[in-house]
Amino acid sequence: MSTSRREFLKRTGITAATLPFLMNLSSLGWASTSVRRKRLVVIFSPNGVVPDTFWPSEEGKLEAFKRSLEPLAPFREKTLTLHGVNDKIRGDGDSHMRGIACLLTGIELYPGDVQGGSHTPAGWAKGISLDQHLKGLLQADETTRTRFGSLEFGVMVPERADTWTRLCYAGPNQPVSPIDNPYRMFNKLYGQVKNRQTVASVLDSLHEDFQKVQNYLSADDRHLLEQHAAMVRQLELEIKQEQQLTDSADAETKDMGHAVPELTEGVRRDNDNMPQLSKMQIDLMVNAFAADFNRIATLQYTNSVGGAKMRWIGVEEGHHQLSHEPFSNIEATEKLTKINTWFCEQVAYLAKRLDETPEPGGEGSMLDHTTIVWTNELGEGNSHTLNNIPFVLVGGGLGFQMGRALKYKGVAHNRLLLSIAEGMGHPLETFGNPDYCGDGPLTGLR
Amino acid sequence: MPAKTLLVLAIRPFFSVVLIAACAAQVQGEEDPLKRRGAEIFANKCASCHGDKGQGVAGSYDEPLIGDASIVELARVIDETMPEGEPEECSGEDALAAAKYMFDAFYSESAQMRLVPPRAALARLTAQQYRQSVSDLFAHFMGRGEVKQERGLTANYFDNAGWKHDKKVFTRIDPNIEVDYGQSSPGEGMGIEKFAVYWSGAILAPESGVYLIRARGEGSFIVKFLDTDEKFFDNHVSSGEMAEHSASIHLVGGRLYPISVELIKRERKTGNVDISLTMSWKKPSGIEEPIPSRYLIPGWAPTAFAPQTPMPPDDRSAGYVRGSTISREWTDATTEAALEFADIAVQKLWPKYSKDAEKKKDGPKGRDLLKQFCYELLDAANRRPASDQLRKIFVDQQLQQTNNDEEAIRRVVLLALKSPRFLYPTIDTEATVHQRRSSRLALVLWDSIPDKSLQEAGEKGWLGDDKSVRERASRMIQDPRAKAKLAEGLHEWLDLARWEDISKNQEAYPGFDETLVADLRTSLDLFLDEVVWSETSDFRQLFQADWSFTSDRIADFYGESWKPTGVDTSGRFSRTAADSESRSGVITHPLLMSAMAYGDTSSPIFRGVFLVRHVLGRYIRPPNDAFTPLSPDLHPDLTTRERVTLQTSPASCQSCHTRINGLGFTLEGYDATGRLRDQERNKPIDATGVYIDRVGQEISINGAGELAAYLATSDDATGAFINRMFLHFVKHPVGAYGENRLDQLKTSFRESGYNIRELIVEIAVIAADAPSNNSPSA
Repeated sequence: MSTSRREFLKRTGITAATLPFLMNLSSLGWASTSVRRKRLVVIFSPNGVVPDTFWPSEEGKLEAFKRSLEPLAPFREKTLTLHGVNDKIRGDGDSHMRGIACLLTGIELYPGDVQGGSHTPAGWAKGISLDQHLKGLLQADETTRTRFGSLEFGVMVPERADTWTRLCYAGPNQPVSPIDNPYRMFNKLYGQVKNRQTVASVLDSLHEDFQKVQNYLSADDRHLLEQHAAMVRQLELEIKQEQQLTDSADAETKDMGHAVPELTEGVRRDNDNMPQLSKMQIDLMVNAFAADFNRIATLQYTNSVGGAKMRWIGVEEGHHQLSHEPFSNIEATEKLTKINTWFCEQVAYLAKRLDETPEPGGEGSMLDHTTIVWTNELGEGNSHTLNNIPFVLVGGGLGFQMGRALKYKGVAHNRLLLSIAEGMGHPLETFGNPDYCGDGPLTGLR
Repeated sequence: MPAKTLLVLAIRPFFSVVLIAACAAQVQGEEDPLKRRGAEIFANKCASCHGDKGQGVAGSYDEPLIGDASIVELARVIDETMPEGEPEECSGEDALAAAKYMFDAFYSESAQMRLVPPRAALARLTAQQYRQSVSDLFAHFMGRGEVKQERGLTANYFDNAGWKHDKKVFTRIDPNIEVDYGQSSPGEGMGIEKFAVYWSGAILAPESGVYLIRARGEGSFIVKFLDTDEKFFDNHVSSGEMAEHSASIHLVGGRLYPISVELIKRERKTGNVDISLTMSWKKPSGIEEPIPSRYLIPGWAPTAFAPQTPMPPDDRSAGYVRGSTISREWTDATTEAALEFADIAVQKLWPKYSKDAEKKKDGPKGRDLLKQFCYELLDAANRRPASDQLRKIFVDQQLQQTNNDEEAIRRVVLLALKSPRFLYPTIDTEATVHQRRSSRLALVLWDSIPDKSLQEAGEKGWLGDDKSVRERASRMIQDPRAKAKLAEGLHEWLDLARWEDISKNQEAYPGFDETLVADLRTSLDLFLDEVVWSETSDFRQLFQADWSFTSDRIADFYGESWKPTGVDTSGRFSRTAADSESRSGVITHPLLMSAMAYGDTSSPIFRGVFLVRHVLGRYIRPPNDAFTPLSPDLHPDLTTRERVTLQTSPASCQSCHTRINGLGFTLEGYDATGRLRDQERNKPIDATGVYIDRVGQEISINGAGELAAYLATSDDATGAFINRMFLHFVKHPVGAYGENRLDQLKTSFRESGYNIRELIVEIAVIAADAPSNNSPSA
């Protein structure tokens, strides 16, 4: 069923300024549109869930949601819940640290000095995260290469780099910081065209300088500078590729200035603005996908141990503080359910936006080509268990059979990572710590 | 489990470089027969699991045997637990012999210092250093405001709806902007119908981060901020109702940002209206409040540049912020920040420069002037005059390639600020000794580039000996940038960043809310400031001061001993009376006491870990597992001390918890909010404890007063403080600057009467030269 341009406009409420951009997407993307696009979004929210109000009670066909998942009701047939998937990674780091840092890496943390209140200190994860690994594979292949490969979104991520605040890793010891400021993300996506030309014009002179300066350094120190120089070269390459892209693009879309979405102005990075920030980030994500800037996105709400105070839903206490309360504390448990319901609303909003946007140059909606994986660093906040990590999947990107509630018997989450890789078209033998990949991808997903 | 016990003394991450020459008794000398015996014992009984050099053996015990316990402690553990399963195999004198051998061969901090000499690895500018440096690059052309003693804003009052000299009624200093005139006159000799008030001066940012600035009032008002010419908030057109303007902006600690505010009442035909105005802010740490007068400087300050490009947070995994890693985000952020500076250089610096040049008759004109401007910019960013070759590449060639002056400036700025010469300030092989000292002093004390005077000292060779460097550093430390950096260092020492959210059970502690916590933060900051910047700048006072700063709100909650004794210039805060019974400097300060506690109960473990790790600089191994503290509800008849003792009683816990609890218990006289108490659950408080120092001496301590007295002069605490200050200011371990540097600093610190400012000066003197120990390590 095709949607007319006018209907599409009406349904999405997209401004006229955005439209030429959205409508000319295929000419902007680098990747070939002949291959079915597959996209992956990982959404992280912290501090565990309340099992009784979260997990569907019946195994098998998804008939009804509990309260925390109720916002996903319109997408019930496109949703898959996976109970009984455990993060089995042990070693250094408290549960919150390992919870977030091993979630997508599937591997232990290095020893380190980042110290929890009364737990084991640790450093960064020992390996690359799945999103970044897949990005590397997609970018290496001309048919799936996009301008950014992946985008790392955040909402109110604290301004400190430590094991609790980083979900993605570009490699061992290389955490990737999410961008939690929508204006900054906007700038990354749409700004900077003129500036980048200026940058390009001085890069040769800069290289010359790097080479000279390197001679002053000892072998040990030179390594850091070489790493730096390599990143400058990478930037150069990107600018070149961008220029080729703009040169070859239609005259109409050449000026990216006409092609940008509008952003509400002046929304401060502030706890109380979380709902607005979340919406802006999701809108930007959908726009970026529509323009095929990337095939992978992560969206990190606060951090593991995150202490958002969701006053807008009547919760005054910090999230983390509440999550320590036993489930016998009915008032706290009620609030935690509300908090997770709010996070679920964000997932549902993304699903809705993707669902109402036709797949550019393809069949169906963008949701049919995207799988959202909503997850968490803990199973439950009070016990700090890494068993039954919430995994709620929405959408058809990975080709899983949706509309079901599956219950596994404590399988390692590394195996789910393998399934996701397989679904994205890049099957792997192992990912992260091979000890937990024993039986390969999870069975029963397809 | 015995294996776990030994772990205590063993693990120390190899990259943690707090290496301290600890044991003065261990002088290299003739071979001790006991040590020889120890070597044999180790080879026969230990090496199979621990490796011949204690490096560890994969599969049996893979952690290296490194730590900071004394020989006596080490011997005790070997005696009681080793070899695993057969502790009787090595006991008494054998255990002591093995301990002595291990200590000197590889275990101790001094042995590690010898085996793996610390080095100062190449580091890039941290985000703070980057922002401070580009702000000063702007100030190089625009000038910098001066911070005088006086606080508040200059206020001119006019009996007219605008600035008119003959209508000026009076000029004075107002403490801040928080006025509500209603429908009456703002002051003597002023009318009711129409008037104008002009405030001017600068805001001194105490810390780096995002500030919320807000103006709220009735009447016509215009606020200029950062830029002396441009309107920041414009409420010029007002119909009399309440108006509000706000903005979030990143400011850099220790910098002045000009502000001017005009509030005007015009005559109205429709009748009198209310006039009011409050300028408030929310600091990066803190709550929204009218901008307090202690952060307002009267007079005039030039336009300032506040870089807004977000930079990714720097690595702080070693306990201090350093520029040790390169990431794509950081590389991109430096590009973006350079472009941001390029814009402001085009908009502000070049127009001012060329306008100033017009006034001179015979100076260069046109492109020659532009070239001169670019050279000056490059030299300032380069921290010393650039070589002709560099000028050619970075300036001459760029000017040749474009006829557009603005584009040329942007290219030069990009090159100057993206160059490794700017981003890695210690790549200074080409510099003279004087130039190097000038640039390193600026980096260490200000996180910045040298100002004109300091660069001149580098050019003219005025930094030839320690004496001239010391004099220069003593002047530099008075600068607000150095003050802000020192304040931040003290926060790091106290580990304050860890405790962002302090909240208490409202049933047990009604009234303990975020406004109280904000006041406690201010109280602590005022206290630290007072100690550091007082005449004596006495480190011991940080532990032993029996006074503090307080507000009415604090007094309401904490009672009699926190009653204000008078009001200082800052408005709400003033000193308490002396009370040595209830107060011992920072260690009993309610902010720290309440932070290191749970919602209901105190936490001797948080407090103990803080004292051991931060105040005494000792190493504690991580716990065997993550433990949830025993719930007080399950043990209603136990005190906190008893509960903690119960939970940590297993032998595998005790090896660390003797250290932790032994100190944490001494603060049990302070409850979860830091209120003084003499009993808990109807049992008297037991605040006795014990500490075994680095050289194995056992110190018995009863209560906070004795703890403070010990810490004030303890070698461990002094060493830990110096180490932390060195890391914070220099961002490299002190050991990299020579094996005896720590001892040297300890000696001079004691001789100066523990003068903190002089300590920082001595640190700067050492760090003004390249590290001695900078040869590539194995």
